[in-house]
Amino acid sequence: MAAPQVHHLFHAPIADHSFSSDKKTLAVARENNVELYQQSGNKFALSDELKGHEKTVTSVDIAPNSGRIVTCSQDVHSIDRNAYVWEQTPTGWKPTLVLLRINRAATFVRWSPSEQKFAVGSGARVIAVCYFEEENDWWISKHLKKPIRSTITTLAWHPNSVLLAAGSTDSHARVFSSFIKGIDTRPEPSAWGERLPFNTICGEYLNDTAGWIQGVAFSPSGNALAFTGHDSSVTVVYPSAPEQPPRAMLNIATRLLPLNSLIWNGETEIIAAGHDCEPFRFHGDENGWQLAGSLENKAGEARGAREESALNMFRQMDLKGQAQADTKLKSTHQNTVHTIRAHEEANGVVSSFSTSGVDGRVVIWNA
Amino acid sequence: MSQINYRTINIDALDPESSANFPMESLLPATLPQAASASDAANAAAQVRQMLRGGDPEGALRTVLDTAPLGGDDRAKEVHLATVIDVLQGIRQGEMTRILEGVCSGDGGAERADCLMKYLYKGMSSAAPGSGTQTPKKPVSPQDTGFSQIQARNLGEGGGGQQMSVLLSWHERLVEIAGTGSIVRVMTDRRTV
Repeated sequence: MAAPQVHHLFHAPIADHSFSSDKKTLAVARENNVELYQQSGNKFALSDELKGHEKTVTSVDIAPNSGRIVTCSQDVHSIDRNAYVWEQTPTGWKPTLVLLRINRAATFVRWSPSEQKFAVGSGARVIAVCYFEEENDWWISKHLKKPIRSTITTLAWHPNSVLLAAGSTDSHARVFSSFIKGIDTRPEPSAWGERLPFNTICGEYLNDTAGWIQGVAFSPSGNALAFTGHDSSVTVVYPSAPEQPPRAMLNIATRLLPLNSLIWNGETEIIAAGHDCEPFRFHGDENGWQLAGSLENKAGEARGAREESALNMFRQMDLKGQAQADTKLKSTHQNTVHTIRAHEEANGVVSSFSTSGVDGRVVIWNA
Repeated sequence: MSQINYRTINIDALDPESSANFPMESLLPATLPQAASASDAANAAAQVRQMLRGGDPEGALRTVLDTAPLGGDDRAKEVHLATVIDVLQGIRQGEMTRILEGVCSGDGGAERADCLMKYLYKGMSSAAPGSGTQTPKKPVSPQDTGFSQIQARNLGEGGGGQQMSVLLSWHERLVEIAGTGSIVRVMTDRRTV
């Protein structure tokens, strides 16, 4: 297995990252701006900055086909300035206004697979589902409101672009319909529901151990939902039929620190990462799930703990009063991982994935 | 005109949208067991002490964790906490690891580990010895109960400290088996003990 590709971009936390479909452009949220990096050789070099937000940018997403970038931030001064859609023009990136109508920070944004809509989670206890209005040349939104009781921390789209999963600090993971007339085509009936008018609640799930939900994801088929939260567990839900209790709801309580983000790799594998600074693999199906282990290459540990020369050891002891600086973690990431995304995938099978976190690194792993 | 001291009005109570009015019961899972009363807890305590005297500390620990009154009232929880601490103190240092491995394996082992971790933290927070100025953080009933007298005795020289050291050695061994995830779940889980 090849070693992961590490891109140490800067010494500041990365709230979110996104690659373009050709994997040559990388967008990262850094403080109040979004930075765009272009691949040159094996490295990524800063090429452009998207400036416009006045507060911390919380999330960024590049639409794979149209190349549009959507960003959202904690700006709360005006109700139409906390999300922008950026389009590339000959004179540079141009932002388009989004009427979110929220009076709290926007926390998370993702394009729907159809790229006709995107969803913004917020601290105002609503999810704004946004779509483009030609007449006025701006993005307008409809709110998913009930029964959200607290801040939305994470979102994930179903492959049909109508169902939307959301995790919240009220410890519930929910599945909503975000069907918008004139934009969406009627989805095929599934285990989640048959008729799906806007704001239909197709599922509402709570762990035994509760905990803020930090990451949600639909399986490639869309017929299962996984979520992870601040209780260090991963829960997988298999719905049975509309308005029925799920066929199976499996909780994997781990001995790890909490996991922040997860992706599916096929229908029987989940990869998740978080406060332990390294990605972990889970295997299972409807009959049970278990933690399979870390994806960290353990050969790397030996390199980290290599023998220092005697001269260097005494020099370190003289300078710092210790033989070896123990401030370096043995993992590739040196701090919490915030985001994990599929990098290269075909038919739901992920061949590589990318992670970013508090340490300012973006790492591309082989799944 | 009547005088109202506006500073003392609890405005959160008047605002249904306020985050202070977050319904905590919405965090309790549907699988929460039926509320247990103090007498149920006392019955469980008698059974567990019997097992402990009968030389089956592993069975005693297993039973006391399986019968934890997650849905009980405060009084039932107090009685059960005293039972758990009795069991923990009744097991010798050298046997801790072996017994823990037995209790934390098999069907429901992970839940028992998480449950024991809750009791260790509850035990450490309620039996804090030493400084007399420290006020107990948990809600105590206004009248002196039998249990709070036991606690008062623990506050004396050595008693509380000894209990604390027992809890700490259990904590060390439990973290080896159940990991940091178990500690995290003590903080998130609303099914308190």
